[in-house]
Amino acid sequence: MSTLQDTVAAEWIKIRSLRSTSAFLAGGVVAMLLGGLILFLLVQSYDAASAADRLNYETADPTVVTMPFVAFFVGAIGAMSVTSEFTTGSIGAALLAVPRRRVLLGAKAAVAALVGGAAGAGFSLMAFADARLMLGNRPAPLNPWPRWTDAVPTVLAAAVVVLVTCVVGLGLGAVMRSTAATLTTLGGLVLVAPIFAHFLPTTWQLRFGSILLPNLAPQLAGGDHPWLLSQGGAVAAAAAYVVLALGAGAVSFGRRDIS
Amino acid sequence: MIEVRELTKRYGPTSAVDGLSFEVRPGAVTGFLGPNGAGKSTTLRILLGLQRPTSGEALIGGLRYDQICRPLRRVGAVLDAGAAHPGRTAFTHLAGLARSNGIAGDRVTTVLEEVGLASVAHQRVGRFSLGMRQRLGIAAALLGDPAVIVLDEPVNGLDAAGIRWIRSTLRALAAEGRTVLLSSHLMSEMAVTADHVLIIGRGRLVEETSVAELRSRFERDVLVRSPRAPELSHVLTGLGATVTVTGDGDLVVAGAGAPAVGEAAAAASIPLHGLTARSATLEDVYLRMTEEAADFQAAPERPARS
Repeated sequence: MSTLQDTVAAEWIKIRSLRSTSAFLAGGVVAMLLGGLILFLLVQSYDAASAADRLNYETADPTVVTMPFVAFFVGAIGAMSVTSEFTTGSIGAALLAVPRRRVLLGAKAAVAALVGGAAGAGFSLMAFADARLMLGNRPAPLNPWPRWTDAVPTVLAAAVVVLVTCVVGLGLGAVMRSTAATLTTLGGLVLVAPIFAHFLPTTWQLRFGSILLPNLAPQLAGGDHPWLLSQGGAVAAAAAYVVLALGAGAVSFGRRDIS
Repeated sequence: MIEVRELTKRYGPTSAVDGLSFEVRPGAVTGFLGPNGAGKSTTLRILLGLQRPTSGEALIGGLRYDQICRPLRRVGAVLDAGAAHPGRTAFTHLAGLARSNGIAGDRVTTVLEEVGLASVAHQRVGRFSLGMRQRLGIAAALLGDPAVIVLDEPVNGLDAAGIRWIRSTLRALAAEGRTVLLSSHLMSEMAVTADHVLIIGRGRLVEETSVAELRSRFERDVLVRSPRAPELSHVLTGLGATVTVTGDGDLVVAGAGAPAVGEAAAAASIPLHGLTARSATLEDVYLRMTEEAADFQAAPERPARS
């Protein structure tokens, strides 16, 4: 049997040689720069505000401003690693090389997790370093991290959310097979659903919002947040996303014929 | 060695493949022939594990494709020219495939040279002509130096030079003792490439034979024109020939060659105005056979899947 290790190595070659991979990473960089700009404007306006007004400022948290967009772009890399093969017909060549579909999907998932984790860690570290530099020694609520080390759980949690989003993108892609449908759904899940949640009555906003991917970041990190899940609950929710997406992907990919 | 046993694939009420059985032996080029929609591609896709049969099995060396360890080392397949991602270079496309099957990286360079793509190895596949993509497909098939090679309509859309190249490549591969199976809807192509043919129509095996045998079997009949045709017909029937009368009153004689017909006519003092030995083209034979195959099942026509 083709070993999983060989297949993972091959998938790594494939994901690196896709032009869309670097395009979406560039998208992540743009999202980070724009997020940084927004935080910069926020800090400027904070400095100009009166002491009383300053207490009403929201946290300058990149998990809210920057990371959902980063997660979308990195998630798209995971999605494209499978949908690009369906849309170009190269899935046939991939399956001739690795006919056991679960091995192929498993290798793709491993590579998506690797890319998602690494890109997530890189982007979230940069976004937080950037935010921390701009915030300086300004106090809470604008700056929730009095010391650098206070931001570590949030940075890690944000990276985990990007990783999960990348794997979810892959699972969605394996089910939908179309790039357009997959990216639209992924965008809906990561970017639109949190906005939609705001229109719900508060109880439902909290219930629904707590299980949304971007909102898992503060819940995974613990600390102050309005959502309902404990850290353990957030870990379970993140794991559920991975299991559901990959499970649905494996069932759909395993059963349907390749035309 | 390829074995297909009682293979059936249904899409709803229609059968694309219907109880198909055949074997393909090494050391020869076997043509898999049938009109568009006959079930050729479906059969090959089941053989290569891309589709699942409704019933029956298709084995290569006794194993289902997904049971084969590092399959590129045992089976090389070209399914369609679009099977490489257009955004990748020929080199990275092959490098990925090689890596997945633990094939040494220098094989990539070797096969690219073999198919004449070494100079464009680092160009994106999207810029390739159809002929170049077919060559890349063959390169991928040869990557693991496999004993079994399967190609689906490899000459579709190729120019004359490309067709000649594929033909000589396949003949050379078979001469090395490999099993080569290629599908086509063109009898004329098979006549010059294949040693054996499997003819299918409507998902069923119509004929399994050698190209030479097929040619000889349908070769001879004789068209005879005579002012005393009925008399001549009687004489020829007496000799054991089969005689049919055309709309023009000419005779078509099977079972007796032109010399025998001429001599019989001379012996009976029957004048002849014309005597022509005819051989049906393989294309005619093939069309006749697959039309018959189409007749014995009245299911609605499926959209063409070649």
